[in-house]
Amino acid sequence: MKRDRQTLPIAAIREENPSLRTFRFDTQLEAQAGQFVMLTLFGEGEKPFSILDENADSVYITVKNVGPFTNRLFELQVGALVSIRGPYGVAFSLENKRVLMVGGGFATPPLRFLAKSLRARGIDYLVNVNGARSQADLLYVSDFEELCDRSLIATDDGSLGHRGTSVDVMQDILEEETFDCIYISGPERMMKAAVDVARKYGIPFEVNLERYMKCGVGICGSCVMDPNGLILCKEGPVVGHETLAKVQEFGVSHRDKTGRILEI
Amino acid sequence: MQFLGKVIPSPLTLASGILGISFSSLQRVIRDGAGMVTTKSLSLEPRIGHEGPIIAEFEGGLVNSVGLTNPGIDDGLLEVEKFHNEFAGVSIVSVFGANSEEFVNLARAVNHSKGDFLELNLSCPNVEDEFKRPFALVPEKITEIVTAVKAVSNKPVLAKLSPNANDITLMAMLAEQAGADGLTMINTLGHGMVIDAIARRPVLRNNFGGISGPCIKPLALKLIRDAYKQVKIPILGTGGVSNGLDAVEMMMAGASAVAIGSAVYERGLDVFKITRMEMEAFMSEHGYEDYTDLIGILEEN
Repeated sequence: MKRDRQTLPIAAIREENPSLRTFRFDTQLEAQAGQFVMLTLFGEGEKPFSILDENADSVYITVKNVGPFTNRLFELQVGALVSIRGPYGVAFSLENKRVLMVGGGFATPPLRFLAKSLRARGIDYLVNVNGARSQADLLYVSDFEELCDRSLIATDDGSLGHRGTSVDVMQDILEEETFDCIYISGPERMMKAAVDVARKYGIPFEVNLERYMKCGVGICGSCVMDPNGLILCKEGPVVGHETLAKVQEFGVSHRDKTGRILEI
Repeated sequence: MQFLGKVIPSPLTLASGILGISFSSLQRVIRDGAGMVTTKSLSLEPRIGHEGPIIAEFEGGLVNSVGLTNPGIDDGLLEVEKFHNEFAGVSIVSVFGANSEEFVNLARAVNHSKGDFLELNLSCPNVEDEFKRPFALVPEKITEIVTAVKAVSNKPVLAKLSPNANDITLMAMLAEQAGADGLTMINTLGHGMVIDAIARRPVLRNNFGGISGPCIKPLALKLIRDAYKQVKIPILGTGGVSNGLDAVEMMMAGASAVAIGSAVYERGLDVFKITRMEMEAFMSEHGYEDYTDLIGILEEN
């Protein structure tokens, strides 16, 4: 059996904002945008994190501090040992030439990685809509501006860009332009709204889903989605429009750590 | 073929603990070619289980310490009902109790479900801190729990046995005497551990876990063979089966059906379809007409 666990020091830590940090690891995973790693904090636990970027020397993950595990991670200094395994899961496709990306909140790092990958591969036209509650919560604004032909912003409070959601802006764009594919990454309610709009305009899309994951390799069953049994850690987290049509729990329910169904 | 009176399309069964939390998983595994599915072990109350890492791989297989994650018997049986709703598939409902009283309550709850069989997980190695010595290691406990459950259950009852018992054949005989309709053997072996040398720590958050995968297959074959010689009730064999030849071997040793667990990690859910094709190829090449022709036909030197 393949051994894919690596124990290594944190090579660098960058504070993106008070609740968000990017961690650098000097290793190679050959990861693609949308994939994730399982990260172990010794004595604490193991959680999945999506990959922000990878270059010839390093892998980066961006982490939002949301609970005890990330609290512990935020206490660690450069040089502290952690363990990572991966990359796991299905990445965003890279074949499309006219692309719209719609991101919300703290789920935009994979879109930044995607934009970079699409650029490297050669793309005709790339538009990004970056949405957040407020200007202070927006991530990678200058990176998206640099990587995209058009880069638009929406904030709930109107502190920067359009006042409203990234889905509002998406709708406005689709009134004027068409795309081969729309890539969506954000909170599930936002993604549900974006998917409804994409369907209305008949444009293929891919979404970056999130469910409670424990093993990361498709055997514990924690992340399996109803009712078609999609094993999200292996067959996602990026899911295309045809598969998503069979995932009736999308936007409706998810399962807790014990497997009980909870409404979204 | 049949297993305990139920017609099954193939002897290949999803082992307990793999994917089996939800009806969606269970139906998916049947659609992908399994003959039967086993739920994760259900306890009276929901359990989160252990923190990760819950699985560590090594050269010979996996070491796991999931810690009986499950939504509890009430929600778990709702999943069983959804599984059977307008869907053809045979289910084994696995349950785990802290004592014979809990096992009886669990069995009563399963009576009202559409689940086909009841499996008593008497041997989870990963919750010893909580529940002390696994029942499958204590002869009197096997007798007590199986007797108590059989007195109330209206489902065929399988007792899941542990290779950690001093004499698993004795346990098999006691389970049969107490009225068990079948046996599931073997559960994971040990505790074992995988060490991360750089970190100087065990990989598993829970330090130790049950060993599964190819490395336990020779032990499973021998223990199934021993039990087969002493009991008349059917054996659901499990332990390190990852291809058709493994499954054929296990049936020759005495298993009436074969459960697959860790190999789902190695080969994905296709493992059921592929293993079945491999079994059928072997059988047609060597002149076996039916799966049941394989059961216990081992000739020893």
